[in-house]
Amino acid sequence: MTQPGALAGLRVLDLTGHRAQLCARLLADMGADVIKIEPPAGDDARRIGPFLDDLPHRDRSLFFWFYNLNKRSLTLDLNDSRGGAIALELARSADVVIESFPVGTLDKMGLGWDTLHRENPALVLCSIAPFGQTGPYRDFNADDTVLSAMGGMLYVNGSPGRQPVRPLGLQAYHSSAYFGAIAVMLALLARDATSEGQWIDLSMQEATAAAVEHVAGGYFERHEAEPRRGTLHWSRFFRVGKCRDGYIMHCTLGDWTSLIEWVKSDGKAGDLEAPEYHQVMYRFLMAEHLFDVLDDWVKDYPREELIERAQLLRQPYASVRPPEALFDDEQLAARGFFVEVEHPELGRKFRYPGAPYLFGGTPWRVSRRPPLVGEHTGEILRDELAMAPEALAALFAEKVI
Amino acid sequence: MATAAMPLDGVRILDFTWVVAGPVATRILADHGAEVVKVERKVPPPLGNRKLGLQCDLHRDKLSVALNMQHPRGIELARAIAAKSDVVMDNFSARVMRSWGMDYESLCAVKPDIICISMSGLGHTGPLSSYVSYGPTLQALTGYTLLMAEPDGTPAGYGYSYADMCGGYTGALAALVALWNRRRTGRGQFVDLSQLEAVASVIGPALLDISVNGRTQSPPGYASGEGPAAPHGVYKCRALKGDEGSADDDRWIAIVVRGGSEWRRFVTTIGSPSWASDPGFRTLYLRMRNSAALDANVSRWTAAQSAEDAMITLQRAGIAAGVVQNGIDICARDPQLRERGFWPTVSTTKGATTQVTGIPFKLSGVSGDVRTIAPEVGENTDYVLGELLGLGRAERESLIAAGAVWP
Repeated sequence: MTQPGALAGLRVLDLTGHRAQLCARLLADMGADVIKIEPPAGDDARRIGPFLDDLPHRDRSLFFWFYNLNKRSLTLDLNDSRGGAIALELARSADVVIESFPVGTLDKMGLGWDTLHRENPALVLCSIAPFGQTGPYRDFNADDTVLSAMGGMLYVNGSPGRQPVRPLGLQAYHSSAYFGAIAVMLALLARDATSEGQWIDLSMQEATAAAVEHVAGGYFERHEAEPRRGTLHWSRFFRVGKCRDGYIMHCTLGDWTSLIEWVKSDGKAGDLEAPEYHQVMYRFLMAEHLFDVLDDWVKDYPREELIERAQLLRQPYASVRPPEALFDDEQLAARGFFVEVEHPELGRKFRYPGAPYLFGGTPWRVSRRPPLVGEHTGEILRDELAMAPEALAALFAEKVI
Repeated sequence: MATAAMPLDGVRILDFTWVVAGPVATRILADHGAEVVKVERKVPPPLGNRKLGLQCDLHRDKLSVALNMQHPRGIELARAIAAKSDVVMDNFSARVMRSWGMDYESLCAVKPDIICISMSGLGHTGPLSSYVSYGPTLQALTGYTLLMAEPDGTPAGYGYSYADMCGGYTGALAALVALWNRRRTGRGQFVDLSQLEAVASVIGPALLDISVNGRTQSPPGYASGEGPAAPHGVYKCRALKGDEGSADDDRWIAIVVRGGSEWRRFVTTIGSPSWASDPGFRTLYLRMRNSAALDANVSRWTAAQSAEDAMITLQRAGIAAGVVQNGIDICARDPQLRERGFWPTVSTTKGATTQVTGIPFKLSGVSGDVRTIAPEVGENTDYVLGELLGLGRAERESLIAAGAVWP
């Protein structure tokens, strides 16, 4: 008998398109019952690659798989009044609805906040939109790259005078998803006291801007635009260096004495032996020169040897690795980060990235593989809404489900 | 009523976190009404002015008490605060809290339903649990640094510590989920959060591509990560005032054009230039294959526009486009962020005000708010020892004299 997840008993309707699907997944991973409502032709995320064996198909999208693990799928045409009525019926017994339609769409479907709140006062509605529900840009169109741009996340990567480098891996979306899940939990905790649900208006642009630590701070402190600095971190304590066989990340926040003794024993310390470098502020001021000297020191080192020794001396150095290295990482393996998920209809098992945190009492876990299109439509409508077989057949024939 | 209720009214967090990731987590909880008691050293690491900018953003809405954790009575005080807290958060490796008798098992003795969240770099278990790391080195280990490459392949990483922000959000979510569960079961628990795992979990589709398809990931540049699009990239625009080399001359716009009608609308919007009817750009597939030539043509159009004008023009036609905004843009120029009040103003001690980063969501009823600027180290010692622990003045002075508490 496995322990129930931390959010067992919570019912979430996930109406989001491909931009905001991680939000409900974070709740599903912790045991919430998440019903993904997708159009009868399948969610737009199913058309986004990469695909299993590079064969595009709506049940083979790895993009869809990642964001929809642990959810159930119900197909429903929300633009049809019968589909809207079914969604409303489900919302009556749900705790949370999460949506990412263009602003105003939910109202047109008859599922706006006023309706939902009237029908189920305890319901929490989380609306995730590129620029939020209000303001002059509320109807603007955006993808992750546009949001990274508008949130200030894109400008600061790369080198001065060159084209900025785009952040990796849709992090404007992911920051928004985390803030969405946080907001939902806050509204649920507030509901314990008030018994009332709330409407959450989340701006992905704001979530992106909030996920850049130093840009706003730099402006409010110095009224300047933080520039691009190549691989020199804005704090000036980290820079990429190159060993004989690969890149590493230098860090000058560890114990300086032991680092400089080591560099000295290799005969490469140069003027870094000067006592001023023992002060953090001096290392901050001299960062460019300091890292130039350290680059010259590491350039003939085999990378693994350098990193191993650095960590023994508690110097926060690290290899600059490709993501493939995560699969061979002994630490991740020991903690069971990657999990096997069985896809019985394919007769195969796949390794998924796993938990971002290990809960001692109520574990993160995989309870079901990502759903096939409409896999749970029948059982949800029959078992939970007590719909008659004829009614289901009629809705299916008319492509509402 | 004195103050409106907030979602986390009545929740107390004992906060041992420092640097960035941990403080981001507890700041989110503090913004929403939790009483966050930050334990720190008399002389914290020199990370900058607490009353402005990043450091204010990290520590606002919190209380600060300076306890000497090398002193047995300092540890005693910390355990006494823990006994009155709901959640204890730290971002140390496993040994630190254990050495103080502040690990989950020990704290259960003083508060059976305590929630402990430890946000260490690589987690509390496993052969590398004592690995020393910071946000930038975790990004390096995960692939962000390498795959965010310049066109010539040089790793350009993040210019900041996204890993710290990501770890912070994960930590805040963990605390909220554990609190929700405790209200229903009466049980607390220990959460072992590895920041490496937190930041690795958000490159999911790429990791699946590796494990499922066996494909080695190469730097994606500006290729769309969410379905085919071309143009898809950033394009240089006209300088703001023409100062060469300044931020005003570093203007770019991100443009995304998908298939079908979007391309036709895009072409019409930029004035139907003759290159757009080149057979090499006829289909989405061809536009992606010939993206270098396409991008060069688009750049000729953007070079004559201001980034703002180009964005408005394209958005009116329903094309996803956005200025590559710098710090001045987002904090002072962007009318959207201004109208939504994303940069709230808070009072500083001397009656002046400063702006801080807001909360990226609004709750329609019981919501959070940025209320107070970050405290100085030990600013709230009187409150914590007096009101919270009920120690009289004489006792407090003896603790200070003994060196267990810094005034």
